[in-house]
Amino acid sequence: MKKNIFLEKSSLFRKQSKKDWNKLNKTQKYFQIEDGKFDCIYFKDERKYSNTYCNNQNWEICVEIDLKTNKKANKDALNALKNGANSICFLNFNNHNLNIILDQIQFDILKINFKNIKTSLAKIVNQLIEIAVSRYGKNYKTKIQGFFHISHEDYKKFKDIISIINLQEKLPNYRLLNLEINKNNSMKEQFNNIEAIFQLMRNENYNSNFIISKDTIAKQLITFSYTLSNQFLYEISTLRAFRIAYEKKYKCTPIINCSINYNTSDDNSLIETCVKSIAAILGGTDMITIKYNEKNIQLYLMQQLILKYESNLHKVTDPLHGSYFIEYLTYHINNTKQNKIKIKKKNNFWQTFEGINIKSRYTKSTNKNIQHLNYGAGEPPFLRGPYSTMYSQKKWTIRQYSGFSTAEESNKFYKKNLKAGQTGLSIAFDLPTHRGYDSDNERVFGDVGKAGVAIDSIQDMETLFNGIDLSKTSVSMTMNGAIIPIMAFYIATAEKKGIKKEQLTGTIQNDILKEFMVRNTYIYPPAASMRIVRDIFKYTSQYMPKFNNISVSGYHMLEAGASADIELAYTLCDGLEYVRNGIQAGLKIDEFAPRLSFFWGVGMNFFMEIAKIRAARFLWSQMIAPFHPKNPKSLMLRSHCQTSGWSLTKQNPKNNITRTTIEALAAVMGGTQSLHTNALDEAIALPTNYTAKIARDTQLFLQNNTDICHAVDPFGGSYFIEKLTDELIHKAKKHITEIENMGGMVKAIEQGIPKLRIETSAIKRQTKIDSSENLIIGLNCFQNKEKTKIKILEIDNKKVQNNQIKKLTTIKKNRDNTLIKKALKNLQTACSNQDGNILELAIVAAKAQATLGEISNTLEKVFERYKAKTIINSGVYAMEKKNDKNFITAQKLTDEFKLINGRRPRILTTKIGQDGHDRGIKIIATSFADIGFDVDIAPLFQTPKEIVKQALENDVHIIGISSLAGGHKTLIPEIINLLKENNRNDIIVIAGGIIPELDYKYLKNKGVNKIFGSGTIVLDAAVEILNELLLKWK
Amino acid sequence: MEIKDYLEGIQKCDRAILGKSITLTESSLKKDKIKAEKLLSKCIHLKQKSLRIGVSGTPGVGKSTFIESLGRKLIKENYKIAVLAIDPSSNLSKGSILGDKTRMEHLVNSDLAFIRPSPNSGTLGGVSKNTKDAITICEAAGFDIIIIETVGVGQAETLVKSMTDILIYLTLIQNGDELQFIKKGILELCDIILINKCDQNHKKSKQVAVSLQNSLTYTQQKIKQSILVCSALNGFNITNIWEQIKTIEKQKNKQGIIKKNRIQQNIFWFKKILKDELYDLIKTNPKFKDVIDNFKNKPNTNPRTAVSKIIKKTFKEDLK
Repeated sequence: MKKNIFLEKSSLFRKQSKKDWNKLNKTQKYFQIEDGKFDCIYFKDERKYSNTYCNNQNWEICVEIDLKTNKKANKDALNALKNGANSICFLNFNNHNLNIILDQIQFDILKINFKNIKTSLAKIVNQLIEIAVSRYGKNYKTKIQGFFHISHEDYKKFKDIISIINLQEKLPNYRLLNLEINKNNSMKEQFNNIEAIFQLMRNENYNSNFIISKDTIAKQLITFSYTLSNQFLYEISTLRAFRIAYEKKYKCTPIINCSINYNTSDDNSLIETCVKSIAAILGGTDMITIKYNEKNIQLYLMQQLILKYESNLHKVTDPLHGSYFIEYLTYHINNTKQNKIKIKKKNNFWQTFEGINIKSRYTKSTNKNIQHLNYGAGEPPFLRGPYSTMYSQKKWTIRQYSGFSTAEESNKFYKKNLKAGQTGLSIAFDLPTHRGYDSDNERVFGDVGKAGVAIDSIQDMETLFNGIDLSKTSVSMTMNGAIIPIMAFYIATAEKKGIKKEQLTGTIQNDILKEFMVRNTYIYPPAASMRIVRDIFKYTSQYMPKFNNISVSGYHMLEAGASADIELAYTLCDGLEYVRNGIQAGLKIDEFAPRLSFFWGVGMNFFMEIAKIRAARFLWSQMIAPFHPKNPKSLMLRSHCQTSGWSLTKQNPKNNITRTTIEALAAVMGGTQSLHTNALDEAIALPTNYTAKIARDTQLFLQNNTDICHAVDPFGGSYFIEKLTDELIHKAKKHITEIENMGGMVKAIEQGIPKLRIETSAIKRQTKIDSSENLIIGLNCFQNKEKTKIKILEIDNKKVQNNQIKKLTTIKKNRDNTLIKKALKNLQTACSNQDGNILELAIVAAKAQATLGEISNTLEKVFERYKAKTIINSGVYAMEKKNDKNFITAQKLTDEFKLINGRRPRILTTKIGQDGHDRGIKIIATSFADIGFDVDIAPLFQTPKEIVKQALENDVHIIGISSLAGGHKTLIPEIINLLKENNRNDIIVIAGGIIPELDYKYLKNKGVNKIFGSGTIVLDAAVEILNELLLKWK
Repeated sequence: MEIKDYLEGIQKCDRAILGKSITLTESSLKKDKIKAEKLLSKCIHLKQKSLRIGVSGTPGVGKSTFIESLGRKLIKENYKIAVLAIDPSSNLSKGSILGDKTRMEHLVNSDLAFIRPSPNSGTLGGVSKNTKDAITICEAAGFDIIIIETVGVGQAETLVKSMTDILIYLTLIQNGDELQFIKKGILELCDIILINKCDQNHKKSKQVAVSLQNSLTYTQQKIKQSILVCSALNGFNITNIWEQIKTIEKQKNKQGIIKKNRIQQNIFWFKKILKDELYDLIKTNPKFKDVIDNFKNKPNTNPRTAVSKIIKKTFKEDLK
């Protein structure tokens, strides 16, 4: 066993109290909401009271339907129910016929509510009873339930028609009264109003030989409604405060209904309604009511369903119970001292994808053995944030990742975005650039300008930043493989513009290790790549003190299907390896560790993601402490986050606004330093101006329209989140120790272990979706056949390529080639010898106008190009699926095919071009093999000619191509042509991945048999293909 | 497609037709089997001189990577090579993953190389007469060197041995204990033992190679086996291994061993195919159904008696 790499004596870190924290800050520490003045952070010892409430946290989704004609109301109600509503509220009832309205509506399993009743209440009650009796017989009473939203004022209007006792007798599960919770009233006034109405009811019913008790009213007759503002934290607290105070006073739980108003004309409003809904849910609402809207009801309901089923907000009752900040606010609002309530204990768990068992309740006792609770923000171990005042002083950077086609086009786009409020640039390069090829290389036709900008030379880089002040704009570059030429171009460009390298701010991804695990845009083998990282560390720590020289990335692991604990652990392992690498390069820990940054993916499991980012900071401090840094910043983990592209669906793309908002909120609650929010069409194509705007507005909304920037780690202290953080810390430590025992990440990668783990995790995730154990709205449930048409951005890559080739030819003609030769020769020598800095010499070559391909090729001569080891683990899919009916059917179909054809169906699965995202294709490969296919796997980065050669030799029935980077329109038809040339057009070609539906027709015309978009259920695809094969060979 | 078309394609070394021809020999359909037999009997006469190399070893030992390295070397010397890789099919799903090509990126893209992975479809050890047929086809197509790659389980080595001229066995040394696990018979079967991944622990690998060599001096082989270290990944010692292969080939040719072996191999396959086909015929013949059923159902039936019954029924004439 290796020695422990963690600093176990965590007592070495200082516990933080308010006093300590105050010392860290000199400026603004307070903020104002409503009538209160608050600190931006609270601590454990400030949590005087931590109260919770009783409800079961399964909120209902109610749709309000304005009654016009009976038939229309019935149609609308059925439509709402079909799309996921679990309760209906009819507005303006006035001599309508409930028999028609409730036709086919099973109102024994849902609530039917009435609001703004225009006729006598007795009419409704009698009709309801009549229908109920006819449907359910004498026992109807327990079958039907709902609310009459009768306000304080209206009560008098109805009281002489039907007495409460009468109602209680006839419809015992109907609530009669509704009281608006008024924001402008204090909690005391609120309760005075409640008392007044209770009194009124008792007086009015006094005559009926029966005195109705306050208890009955509180417990059975009243509901409350509330309309939320944008003040996220304050609204959560208000709702909690009301619940808790009510429970204390009346010894029963109130029914609260929050109305969310959708704005029909504006997609942007989905951001606001999403944030409000989350506040309502975290505050413990019992019902969310939305207005029926002919055109958009599905969209609104889907937002609610995503909140309900995808983000796991409801697994824990009162999840923010214990949070220092929220509890403080709650107490401020309701002034309720410690209230003892009895909580029903449930023994069932919900197990997360990470294998963590989530209980339905977290309380003080669940946090007993947690070690990290007393750490704060702004000092090691940075549990609650890298900076003490966080967003209250400096908001996170809105850093949208973008880039496409040529440098000219991208430049225009960047300038526009900067003008529109974006605060930093993040450059996406095209695949040939990533892989070190010039645009005129024959291997890359089809990939140029796709999924990013093509950069071939310093000229392109100059164009890219034309008119952008590099001394003021921080630039993040996603580059790992061809990092040397890109860094060289960037630095040379800045110097040419008269900017000193010392002034440059930004981040280079430079995380080559994860490329070997997931993304596959490496060029050289691991060891050589680490040498390059070393040289970049040396150079940047000497000359570019404000530049983050690495962004250790977990994002791509999450996207490849890793669970949160694996993403966390492997990313930190990568980080540790880079630190050792820096030390090996002769640097002192404080010379480079403060410039390391981390990059997380944020998925849909809301609380898990918050816990992940917090846990990462804590673990990193523990891992760096043994290097004995003097500068506390060396122990500080700073995060960039990106919302998960994988969680988005191509079905109903507007739903992605909701998903992105939830994820963005999680990233911010976790305390990220910068954030990219995905555009809603991310699963289909490159963002357009419109979709990019919505993505950016998501962040602007959170920053400018809500109260979340006021608070530091507002969820900190929540028993649930602290426990989750603790569990992740422990899980991650186990993984980290395992990697360490293999000899560190480089060794583990060489053995292929991390890749295998991530892939296993991905397949498990897929099976959970395929079997609808994990619900994804619009994908495996609540499918919506109507297609939303959205405009997509298309890149004419032939045009881009020709443009690039022209530029390359001009450069090569006009430059001094002897200068180039000399520069490249020096570069090569530096590569073969350990002395000489590769980056430094590459800058010389860049200035002499050497191209990206030339520089990269020079390195390749010494280091060679790395070839991935593909390990496929079969059996995982079958294990998870073995009892699934569809799975067995599919297996039988393969057997049937063998009887007809003499062998099993054989498929060649392949990626195409320079796109290395192989998660999808691997899932297909292993699951198809488990179904009974013979599956051939092609190496990565193949040209059409190479793929066809393999298909011929292996004599397959099908070629399955996965394309995620947009090269499909050129490359797939090329494959089909080559098959024809070889008389093998009998081989069926199918495609999958990210292919815009607009291209389907084009591809099908070219001969593609089937296209499976992202989110296809694997089994469905298999069966469809098998049926096609059987048809063909019968 | 007619036999004529197949033959024409094979002679032109047309990849599409080569691929289809091998499929024909793998097919379980009766009509395909008849066609395949005809095709093969023609191919045998088109056979050209070739060297058949078998590569075996446990999963993960680096066989494909080794073939990639050796293959790159051979291509450089302008040899035309065919690689027949046999991958295990899953017992449960009967499907398979044929991923060899991902580790032969260079060969895959070379015009001089033809690579055909095949699922073993449940045959123990993974090599079957199909592989033998595929060799025949590849030889007819004029490949100079044919490499058969198989996972070393069950009877694989014996079977690979029975269709190749030179057998290479790959193994790893990590703790030094692995040698114990090399099946005893293997040492006698193979011509070259390679200790792969020596880049991970060069010194140790060498030590083990030497001690293994010493222990082998006592086995009775006409041509002494070679034990070499190599790193398939970075190409270390590949040139040397190729030299060794050529030396062994030369020696074997000189002593007439290759020719003799091939005759013996033919006899071996004749026997094996005869056995398999006869058994198949009897098993599926309704005439013997009750004998077989009877035997299957009653615990105290003597196997000899059951066989005698069948033989008597089949070879009535000959037994008189």
